[in-house]
Amino acid sequence: MSEILLLTFLLVLMVVTGITALFARDLLASIIMFSAFSFFAVLSYLSLRAPDVAFTEAVVGVVSTTFFIVALKRTDRGSSR
Amino acid sequence: MNKRFGTIVLDTSFRFIIPFIMVYSVYVLIHGEDSPGGGFQAGALFGIVFVLSRLVQGEDCALKISGTKAIMLAGVGTAIYGFVGVLTLIFGGNFLQYGALPLNMHEPERHAMGILGIEIGVTLCVMATIIAIFDALTRREEM
Repeated sequence: MSEILLLTFLLVLMVVTGITALFARDLLASIIMFSAFSFFAVLSYLSLRAPDVAFTEAVVGVVSTTFFIVALKRTDRGSSR
Repeated sequence: MNKRFGTIVLDTSFRFIIPFIMVYSVYVLIHGEDSPGGGFQAGALFGIVFVLSRLVQGEDCALKISGTKAIMLAGVGTAIYGFVGVLTLIFGGNFLQYGALPLNMHEPERHAMGILGIEIGVTLCVMATIIAIFDALTRREEM
């Protein structure tokens, strides 16, 4: 029962961070929210007892966040306005 | 990324943390069969080492692999993967049939050695690809 509650909590957090990442005006904030989404995905994979997938997701989350921030630095503007 | 970033605190903590990431990456690679992890994760950790070095120390960083060298290294990794597969073909098995490897071991251990061989190739390829993408993103355009 407590596992289902934990998983529900993590999934709600994933939905909230995902929607925030989609609708944030600032692109850096959007990237950080995507990183948080990836982290909650890692925690939910761990609660589903899939440590292999969780490890992959953690590593890919770090690498993709780095790439997004580097690509953002190359563009002149930091927001989507 | 091209300039030096950060103070002596960041630089020193970078120097402390890099050996641990490298040792952990090799651990993940070697224990890939019986624990979480494998070639992809180990390669991504190794790639993070080089990306972090470039991020913290700028263009004249300690651990540096240029973009063209990284692409060549990715080719070498893929070649190791294919070489293990063709090696099993030469010794009379199917492609990537590890039981045919001529090692003086039991069958499961030969499987483990074959999988370790291809995972070393996967590690090199993933590491080099991450470095190549990062290098392409941070490259200065010559006008």
